[in-house]
Amino acid sequence: MLEISIFAILALFMLGGSITMIVNKQPVFSAFGFLVTMIGLAGMFALLNSQFLAIAQIMVSVGAVVVLSMLTILTVNAKEENLPKEPHKFKWILFSSIVVAPFTLLVYKTLSILPAHFSDIGTINSKVVGELLFTDWVLPFEILSILLLSAMLGAIVIGRDSKKKKKKSQKRRRL
Amino acid sequence: MSPNAFYLLASLLFSIGLVGLVSRKNLFVLYMSIELMLSAVSLLLATLSKVLGEAGGSVISLLIIGVIASEAAVFLAMIINLYRSKKTLDSDRFNALREGARND
Repeated sequence: MLEISIFAILALFMLGGSITMIVNKQPVFSAFGFLVTMIGLAGMFALLNSQFLAIAQIMVSVGAVVVLSMLTILTVNAKEENLPKEPHKFKWILFSSIVVAPFTLLVYKTLSILPAHFSDIGTINSKVVGELLFTDWVLPFEILSILLLSAMLGAIVIGRDSKKKKKKSQKRRRL
Repeated sequence: MSPNAFYLLASLLFSIGLVGLVSRKNLFVLYMSIELMLSAVSLLLATLSKVLGEAGGSVISLLIIGVIASEAAVFLAMIINLYRSKKTLDSDRFNALREGARND
């Protein structure tokens, strides 16, 4: 009973947060909705006995990704006129929800074929995950580390201010 | 409690992300919708790892969290770069690759 009520509260938080995320005009409020969703997801992981995953979710998604996106939103600090004008936003959301609803039902019905009860696996703590990560899943783990490195380099290169180019083009214009 | 509720929640979250991706124009909302879809998949994997009694699903879910982090870095750098070039967050205005687009 306790599990079901915790699940209901977390699910309510997650759905409310995600709907807040797609409905709001200001990106800061969207980021708050995203934050609530991510915390709810960490709670879901804890409810599924994946301790390590819950902690990693809180550390990476909540602590790094959401904070980074909020920081970017506040740095960009877009004024009202720089935000996109979406007069038919709710119409679009309504119509795309109607289009997507059968797809949701299809996914849910397909997943319902799977066994409808949990197996008693016990908690998936850092020991289990670590052993698997360094035996069966070592290749994806290494690929992920290369991906993180290249993403870091790519972010630095993409986000760099290209002032030098501007100066050169200004000089050319003057000439 | 049964895993059906988790399946329903994961499919609902994925669909909400899809709706946000289709119907909004704000670059930040697009980015968060993509993250939400990835998170829904990772919730599904964690559920399956408990249903099937195998910890592999949790490991894939952990790897997906890493992918989300790297995607966030690249996407946010891209948004900053795009905002710097045109001073807008409207995804419809970034059409430099379209045929016959005005280059302003």
